[in-house]
Amino acid sequence: MSDHIDGPRQIGDPAGDLTDLFAFTSPENPARTVLAACLFPSAGADAMFSNAVSCSIVVRRVAVAGLGDAAQFKTGDQESRFTCRFDLLERGPPGGKPVQRGTVTLPNGQTLRVIVNDKSGAATPDGVFRIFAGLRSDPFYLAWVFAQRMRPVPNLLQHDNVLCIVIEFDTRRVLDTDRGALFGVIAETIPLSPTSPVGPPPLRLDWVGRPEQTNMRLNYGPGLEDIRDLWNQQTPFAIASEHRGMFLQRLKESFAHWDMRDERQDWTPAALSANANVFLDDYLIFDVAKPITDTSHLEIERSTLNGHAYQTGGGRTVDANVIDILLTWLVNHDREFLQGGAKQATKPGTKTFPYFADPNMELQSMAESVDLDAGPDRVWTLLGQFDPSWHPLIANVRMIGSGIGQLRSIETIDGKQIVERLEDIDNSRRFYRYSNISGIPASNYTGIFEVNPRGSGSSVVWRAQFLPDNQPDIVVRAIVSTLFKTGLGSLKSRFGETR
Amino acid sequence: MSAAFDIASKDLMVTDGDIAVMNLESARRRSWSRFFQDPLRDGAAEVVVEHEQLTSQFVGDISALDRIEFLVSELVQADAASAHTALIKARAASMMHRFDDARLFLARAETGGAPTDDVQHLLLNIDQACGVNLHRVLGARRQIAKRYRRLEDLVALGSLQADMHEWNDADETYRRALSGYRDVSPFPLAWVCFQLGVLWGELVPEPERFRAAEWYQKAIDVLPSYLKARVHLAEIYLSDGRLSDAEALLRPIIAIGDPEVNWRLADVLSAQGRLIDAAAQMEVARSGFEALLGRHLLAFADHGAEFYAGSGNDCHRALDLARVNVANRPTRRALEQAYDIASSAGNAAVASELLSTIRRGVGHAVNAETSMNDYEGAARMIDRRAFIAATASVSLAPVLGLPSQPLAAETAASPIVLVIEGWSTPNQGSATDAVSIRISQSWRTAWR
Repeated sequence: MSDHIDGPRQIGDPAGDLTDLFAFTSPENPARTVLAACLFPSAGADAMFSNAVSCSIVVRRVAVAGLGDAAQFKTGDQESRFTCRFDLLERGPPGGKPVQRGTVTLPNGQTLRVIVNDKSGAATPDGVFRIFAGLRSDPFYLAWVFAQRMRPVPNLLQHDNVLCIVIEFDTRRVLDTDRGALFGVIAETIPLSPTSPVGPPPLRLDWVGRPEQTNMRLNYGPGLEDIRDLWNQQTPFAIASEHRGMFLQRLKESFAHWDMRDERQDWTPAALSANANVFLDDYLIFDVAKPITDTSHLEIERSTLNGHAYQTGGGRTVDANVIDILLTWLVNHDREFLQGGAKQATKPGTKTFPYFADPNMELQSMAESVDLDAGPDRVWTLLGQFDPSWHPLIANVRMIGSGIGQLRSIETIDGKQIVERLEDIDNSRRFYRYSNISGIPASNYTGIFEVNPRGSGSSVVWRAQFLPDNQPDIVVRAIVSTLFKTGLGSLKSRFGETR
Repeated sequence: MSAAFDIASKDLMVTDGDIAVMNLESARRRSWSRFFQDPLRDGAAEVVVEHEQLTSQFVGDISALDRIEFLVSELVQADAASAHTALIKARAASMMHRFDDARLFLARAETGGAPTDDVQHLLLNIDQACGVNLHRVLGARRQIAKRYRRLEDLVALGSLQADMHEWNDADETYRRALSGYRDVSPFPLAWVCFQLGVLWGELVPEPERFRAAEWYQKAIDVLPSYLKARVHLAEIYLSDGRLSDAEALLRPIIAIGDPEVNWRLADVLSAQGRLIDAAAQMEVARSGFEALLGRHLLAFADHGAEFYAGSGNDCHRALDLARVNVANRPTRRALEQAYDIASSAGNAAVASELLSTIRRGVGHAVNAETSMNDYEGAARMIDRRAFIAATASVSLAPVLGLPSQPLAAETAASPIVLVIEGWSTPNQGSATDAVSIRISQSWRTAWR
């Protein structure tokens, strides 16, 4: 998935694992460009940057050097490099979280200090540069599974967060657009070296250009030798000549594989080979003089490979549906758009700095259980009908419909109304899952109720996962806990409690 | 060799331990959320197990085992019959030292089509933990380490070499792991340093406390929250009389809830003459151990035995637990522990019973009535504390699958049981040394 967890070395320290790279025009100001890199897949709510990793975003000029089956892009030698390093944690305010600061070295050598998770970011006095670093909702979404056949599924990264570095700058002043508007950008993470002008340079941890170079294009199927770490250790913009042939061959095989995922060949061998050549040089291409939109991702490469001049700024916006764009290109050569099971990430990007949505709150989990002196079938007969009339805190219940999708409209003894929907039920496993529609101050509420055999009796487990909604966590937890404990407690007198 | 390996002189830094632990904890919580959303999603359970394993190993959070048990129950609820569930169950059982269960689940996983590499990897771990098939395990470990050169493979090899008394080989392997490390996670580095501390502080025939302390300190420098390293270093400080240093190591980790911390702190306080505080800590330790043993007997039997054989002051309980441990995994260390406890308790009957257990239970045990040219020298390698010479002759061939070349006999004073787990065949030699038993790869025990 994108560049998430794209090699064994990344798994050792996720704070060095780049997930995505973005290049787009600032929604706040079209004269400014935003480059952003994300790290740490599935970062938790307290995630921090590693103090031992430097993360750089590097831009070079690009020129189109061939069209159609001779498609080629060439990069200039000079680069604009933004390098971020982060400090050790500082003690936070009493009872608060620790604080982390970072330093960003700009292409002109100037440095800028940032406080991690400060939404307003930091800016140079002249306003040319503005930087944010911190936790955000993961803007990437992948809504396919690629088993025997491709199958759309809900977003596999729903509720995930990542650490983001967002760099916004005055396009004209920083990129010198008088000399051209087409650029390539990569992001890389490198372990910091405390000493040593001598000795070998530390091995690069990760780098990313276009999404999915490693996980989908180089590592496209099971049983292949995993060459992702080797790829990650290549120098961006300069893949080692001794490895180019091997990587190119892998890409050709990969593209042939993707072409046939729909059992229909849409690529000629020559076009497929040209495609591999273009994707081998992995950098995200963007043109600051043309519109960069949610659908312009890869348009520069695709048009060039199709033999005509590109029309958009390419790049990648926060909300770009990069997977479906890529799959459509690889699988059917843009014949028919392949729509995955999600049309947006957990949260869409924002129109204001830092453009990446606030992090998702941690889902709260609660579970209560009781062991009863009655067999599971007997207990299930009472409890397994989704009808919670047995619960002592419930005054009235109205059941609407039947089977999956059935609703229960509950009036509690203190007059509250709760509506819940049956999502799944399995009588053989004595289990049902439901969601809360209204009545509990939480969103994404999923409850699970199950009865399991335990010794000669049974164990009833009731659990839920939810995001507190406009209420402190503790308030919502107290509500749910009371419902669970009182309900399960009432079963002891009804069935007897196992000692 | 000196322990003066300086991590700071390496050409890399590692992530600060506090940041790494905070990130681990945050990733652990997140992995649970993802698991709850869909327990059967590819990799969801594996990631939780990995995070819980790291949390248990490096933070000393013993409730990680309870959480893994819960995860297994959730998986069983979701899909009891799959090979994937069986593999996770095997991993969980192995973590809890329920090795027989782990083998059973692993067999089911394999039958159900679990990836061969995953099955073999876990099987190696289980064999190594149980001290069986060690010759095969060593060959496989060497091969894997040579092929992948990953730190975790080298640590597993070093650990096995240490188990087989190849101290210098183990030291060299660990150092190779350190010098080859190029990543930024502090966990692997701290792990290797800790292993080197254990090697030189506990496993070698003549422990080198100072050297061990240096390695433990390095582990703590890299990962300040490393509970096990702190406890082991505190033990050394305690025996060196550095009581306030020992206390300073233990106080910050007391809240984690590992009863071993309370136990060691009680010892420190007792040595300081703070007897009331010591008694309170000892009571917490005792109840903590009992609670753990109640939930995960096999996982904590050896620790419990050590506790009760020491300040826990209940040699019967200690021996019971040591025997449980021996029955579960008759490794050299387990047998040594049981022997020491039985000897300290002066319990000849139990010692004899243990001997029977060894004969029955050790994977490739050979009751070898044998003798060797340099038997006493070899024996010194085996056991620094007690040695009873042996007499014997045996053909190893049927057991070990070697050409039948019975050893010529020398005599010695007393009977011995050798558990032979490895051997070498010299290039040249007479019948006497045609099979040279590598005592350093074997376990001795001898009971009068």
